Amino acid sequence: MTSPSLTLTLLVVLPIFSWCILPAVGTTLSLANLNGLKSQFQTGLKSTADLPSLHYSLAGAKELGTQSPETFCNDIKKLVDKSNAESIYHATEAAKTLNTCKLSAEDFRSTVSSTIQSDKSTTAEIYYAVHASINLGLSVDASAVEKRLNALAKTDDSILSQGYALLTAAQLSSAIAKTYADTINDLVQQADEVDGHLLQYEGGISTTALVFNAFYEVAEKAGAPVKIDPKQLVKFANYFSTKRHVATLRSAYYLTKAFKYLSNNKNTVAVVVSRLSSSEVNAQNPSVVVSVTNLLGQSVGEMTVTAESAKRKEDGVVVVSKQKLTSKSSDFTVYELSFFDKKIPRGFYTIHLTLTPRTNGDFVGLTDNTINVKVTSEAVLENAELSVADRDNAAQVKTFKLTYPTALSGNVEVDYHQKLIVKFQVKAKQTDEFLRVQQAFLRLANKKSNKEVIYLAEAATGADAQYKVEVDLTTNANDFLHQSGAYEVALLVGDASLQTGFSWKLTDNLQLSFHEDNVPDTDHLNLYSAKPEIVHQFREDEKRPPATVSLVFSALTALPLLILLILWFTIGANFSGLPLGLSPLGFHISHGAVFALMYFYWKYLDMFQTMRYLALVSIPLFLFGHRLLATLAARREKKA
Amino acid sequence: MSQLGQVAGILGKLNNEYQTTTPKKLKLIDAYLVYVLLTGIVQFAYCLLVGTFPFNSFLSGFISTVGCFILGASLRIQLNKANQSTFNVSPERAFADFVFAHVILHLVVVNFIG
Repeated sequence: MTSPSLTLTLLVVLPIFSWCILPAVGTTLSLANLNGLKSQFQTGLKSTADLPSLHYSLAGAKELGTQSPETFCNDIKKLVDKSNAESIYHATEAAKTLNTCKLSAEDFRSTVSSTIQSDKSTTAEIYYAVHASINLGLSVDASAVEKRLNALAKTDDSILSQGYALLTAAQLSSAIAKTYADTINDLVQQADEVDGHLLQYEGGISTTALVFNAFYEVAEKAGAPVKIDPKQLVKFANYFSTKRHVATLRSAYYLTKAFKYLSNNKNTVAVVVSRLSSSEVNAQNPSVVVSVTNLLGQSVGEMTVTAESAKRKEDGVVVVSKQKLTSKSSDFTVYELSFFDKKIPRGFYTIHLTLTPRTNGDFVGLTDNTINVKVTSEAVLENAELSVADRDNAAQVKTFKLTYPTALSGNVEVDYHQKLIVKFQVKAKQTDEFLRVQQAFLRLANKKSNKEVIYLAEAATGADAQYKVEVDLTTNANDFLHQSGAYEVALLVGDASLQTGFSWKLTDNLQLSFHEDNVPDTDHLNLYSAKPEIVHQFREDEKRPPATVSLVFSALTALPLLILLILWFTIGANFSGLPLGLSPLGFHISHGAVFALMYFYWKYLDMFQTMRYLALVSIPLFLFGHRLLATLAARREKKA
Repeated sequence: MSQLGQVAGILGKLNNEYQTTTPKKLKLIDAYLVYVLLTGIVQFAYCLLVGTFPFNSFLSGFISTVGCFILGASLRIQLNKANQSTFNVSPERAFADFVFAHVILHLVVVNFIG
């Protein structure tokens, strides 16, 4: 049986958290987790041991509008490694975010130029060297770099390498950038589609965000808008908005830049529709309020927001059709739909919204926006009654009528030959129809021990949906562990689409008397105390016959020996022919010794000792036996 | 009735043949074999009566009787002059083998008897 707190939690929480059971539908974009990214960059700035982290934290913070103090310049100068192009790149980029940090070009000239000219540099290294050179004000031979990039494209065609190539082209002349910008579409085709609404590159968020950035940077340098199919752009945007937390600062930086590109009015903007009002719609809050913004939460200009339909989940009933939402704020970010109407049936609804922009601009995410809401209603408990009836004789019934929320005054006594019956109905306040609810329980709690029993109330079929619960004091006695005494009775009713649930104490003093004595209560703590010790039981001896039987049979076994001697005698054994002399005597003594040894083996010795003695005795046995048999053989020869 | 009479007649004739034609030595061995057989029967009857506890002792005793019977029978075969063509061993050699085998048999039996 559940604890009291659990039932109450269920009652209270179920209406609120029923929301969690609804699956996500549609391809709705969601707002970027800007606070998360900001705090990630702030934390990154605290540990200044790693130059790339410092770069990404400074640059990321700047993208999100935070200017970092100039003291970081010293850290940059301390951490930079003059012989590594990547380190120089990070240093120059980090210095760019600060206002007065200047790095001297001469320190790094040799490294960057040798990296650019080297055959062994990867595309990433070329990018770092070129970008660092541009940052430091050093001249770069654009055509040589372009040749190097083309050569590298033949050997390394990974997505990341192509991304770095684009980024490098964005640092060179705009003509080169234009050639590379034309390859953007090919690169987009190489992306993997997930679940039909996300686009990503192999390598996850770090690769995808970097490559996406590369598209925009190279297009910006080329002076042309980014040419990505809107359907694919929205899938990229979906992918980015699913990334609520990213592990590395690098991914966080590129992700931030991706969000900014997708929110920039110069490019195609991704529009996010999210619900501002609570998920529950009832008479007290009758409208659904939504916000229409870009990924960063900023306004996208005036839009016409239309609710195409609002469908109920259970049966697809459409309650709203092509209704316009009214703008509620001056920056056109908040829109309202008045939804509640007495005639709308309770249930879970999915509202489909479409947006039509009123300003010039490219947008994605205008269609396929869904908002999920729940319409609840109020209910009342009606026709509640508590009756005590005889188990055998159904006619003898004592009924008490109850009205919510008053409890029954006075005692109610139920005996072991009676049963307790509770009946009630749940009626919707507005529509006057009788409802079936998800939870209808009768809880009986023993006032002394505070233990409870909960019974399920079941509704009869039919429009009147009368709930009934029956507690029989003989058949259900085990539930109460036969503990007679005063009990508290409460009725618990709840449903996801009811505005509030009910917990109604029907009576404080219900006397139950059970027939048998209490069943000993299992103390919960005892379950974990030491169990009784198990003593090893040795195998019991098998049944043996009484000693006399065994002795009789032992005697019987010895009997045939007598018979043998008698038989031998009758047949006429030649006892007189027994030879006498040393050999026969020795033979017979050795032979007897062997039998004696057998007896000792049985009683006292083990195999090894016996073998040793046997070896000893068998020497005379063999010798004397041989001699005796030779004598006998000679005797036989003589006779023949 | 006639069948029973026939069987009785045959048995009597067999007995007569046996008494007259068998040499004394072989008769002695036959007596020994009967003794061993009786001992085995008694042991088996005991086992059937009171159960097989202790099983190892029963087995060892029973196998002992069986082993002795076999060794006795083989001694008889070897000593039977009618088999001289197949078994060409002297009676002394047969007897020595008999004793040697018995020593081993008894060693094993006593080991197993527990």
